[in-house]
Amino acid sequence: MTSDRFGGDAARHPLAPTGQVPGTAGRSGAMRRDWAGETDYGRAQLKPAPFSPSVVGGYVFLAGLSGSSALIGALADLTQKRPGERRDVTRRAHYLALLAPTIGSALLVYDLHTPQRFYNMMRVAKKTSPMSIGTWLLLGFSAAAGAGGVAQIATDLEPHWRWPHRIAKVAQVPAALFGAGISTYTAALVSATSTPVWAAAPRATAVRFASSSIATAAAVLAGSSVSSPMRRKLADLLLAALGVEIAATYVVAKQLDGAGIGKARFGRWAWIERIVAGGFGTLLPAALLVGSRLLGRRSAKLDRTAGYLATAGSLAFRIAFLGHGMESASRPEISLRFAQPDNLPTAKR
Amino acid sequence: MGLHERIHHYPQSDLDGVIPNESELTGGVTIEPGRSYGFFTDTTVCIGCKACEVACKEWNNLPADSIGLTGQSFDNTGMLSANTWRHVAFVEREGDRGVRAAEQAPFQSGWLMMSDVCKHCHNAPCLEACPTGAIFKTEFDTVVVQQDICNGCGYCVPACPFGVVALNEVDGKVHKCTLCYDRLKGGLEPACAKACPTESIQFGELSDLHEKARERIGVLHERGVEQAYLYGTPDGPGATGDLGHLNAFFLLTERPEVYNLPAAPTRASNRVRPSLTTGVATIGALALLAIGLFSSDRGEGR
Repeated sequence: MTSDRFGGDAARHPLAPTGQVPGTAGRSGAMRRDWAGETDYGRAQLKPAPFSPSVVGGYVFLAGLSGSSALIGALADLTQKRPGERRDVTRRAHYLALLAPTIGSALLVYDLHTPQRFYNMMRVAKKTSPMSIGTWLLLGFSAAAGAGGVAQIATDLEPHWRWPHRIAKVAQVPAALFGAGISTYTAALVSATSTPVWAAAPRATAVRFASSSIATAAAVLAGSSVSSPMRRKLADLLLAALGVEIAATYVVAKQLDGAGIGKARFGRWAWIERIVAGGFGTLLPAALLVGSRLLGRRSAKLDRTAGYLATAGSLAFRIAFLGHGMESASRPEISLRFAQPDNLPTAKR
Repeated sequence: MGLHERIHHYPQSDLDGVIPNESELTGGVTIEPGRSYGFFTDTTVCIGCKACEVACKEWNNLPADSIGLTGQSFDNTGMLSANTWRHVAFVEREGDRGVRAAEQAPFQSGWLMMSDVCKHCHNAPCLEACPTGAIFKTEFDTVVVQQDICNGCGYCVPACPFGVVALNEVDGKVHKCTLCYDRLKGGLEPACAKACPTESIQFGELSDLHEKARERIGVLHERGVEQAYLYGTPDGPGATGDLGHLNAFFLLTERPEVYNLPAAPTRASNRVRPSLTTGVATIGALALLAIGLFSSDRGEGR
């Protein structure tokens, strides 16, 4: 009864004869050898997330930009001694922080398949669900960033009023804390699924998401109205964040290989992620920033170009990474390989 | 299974209403809230009649998915979906690269047949991922989506390690097997189990089913079907990675992958904490760097 289709060994001994099974018997060599890559007529074993990569990716980008801008704006406000140094950065931060609560929330509701029930997200709070965690983080952030934004508008209209300054001073603290949350919980959102590419490297993916958020905020905060010393400091921060992101990107790729699903890194979305987000979005701007420093005289133009590239690269990364994961879920040879006993958490193996 | 004595109370073919605790008559099971119920699907006796698929569609008023031919053995259902909550997989064992063998061994079936269904995991990733609380554990220890609450975020779909939960683009909600929650409440066994003519699908209390399954494995091993094993029993394949156990479990005779099942699925929510702590730590480290940069006077004179 040996069938060629399933490979000789697999057909004779699908599992140990006692009904012993992957997970209990440990990762014996026989278990690993046994799966010869069979699939059920090549049908998908998982269902990809029914998200729109560009809509949800756009939200993830805006959440990172707004959240990290609020954080960096608050840090600038608290550390800069001269008011002139910090005023323009905090002003930009207050306005950038309004993007996630407004456009970002709208994107999230738009991606629901029954959007008129969006408020059901507020029925429960669950620590097992990053989407629930994110709902409450975004709500908290929206309240704090909204207060800061109103205060900033008031300041811009009537600079001599004192109360908006006090509101902004107080609101920036919760905005920074919630901002740190919405900058990075989106990594948990993708990693806490069964989608192979998202789930294979939760920690390194979180580093990628977090550093990408900081990078975009550092790039967008360094507008032309900001003083040039401050712009240089933000460019330094951008370079550091890009460095962290490049390292984490490398680690994610290594861990996908380690999980036996390295093949997933060569699909359509994976190439977009590699070239657009990785090449033009992190490596090139990092090279420009390093180059402008090596030249001795730092060029504001190079720094600015690097900022544009990093911002566009971050958006491309969020979109492509979502598509990359969904692609991997549709490929049974990837998902069935990912769900082999050698990929179980060490303690539970 | 012998006939229940109460069967004699209902000799007529027309009934005035539902027989109280009908499941005792049809499945030998008394359904009571607070106990764990599930399915034991024994693939060795499945004959691929698809009565379970039809019964499920009939009872739950589910429309047809597609009426095309897949060209893949006799399986034209393809997969579980928002409208298909039982799927009989036909895996043709003989032959090579899609070409059927000309001869078959005597008294052997050329197919593996398996009626797939939602596994009703003990630690269900779909339930844990649901941000609205629409997915819940019932009083029968089964996992059900409340249609009046689901807002179609679709987050349960990638959470499921078995590719079961599916979104219906027409009504914008997710759907899956309810283990006939409405029937259980009315004392009826699930439609698929009642319709199954070979007892390949057995409905019952989980501990009873585990015992039956172990007995069945013993019998099969004795008869020389050494490859038979259980998928989804505590600590077995399919119940790995902290999923606990699967309330709908299976007796299989081939690698899980052959039936499109993962050998070692994991519990998605276990990745929340590592991801959040690492992400916040990264933000924190870069924030410290920002404080250092902002506090320094370097570069201000240039």
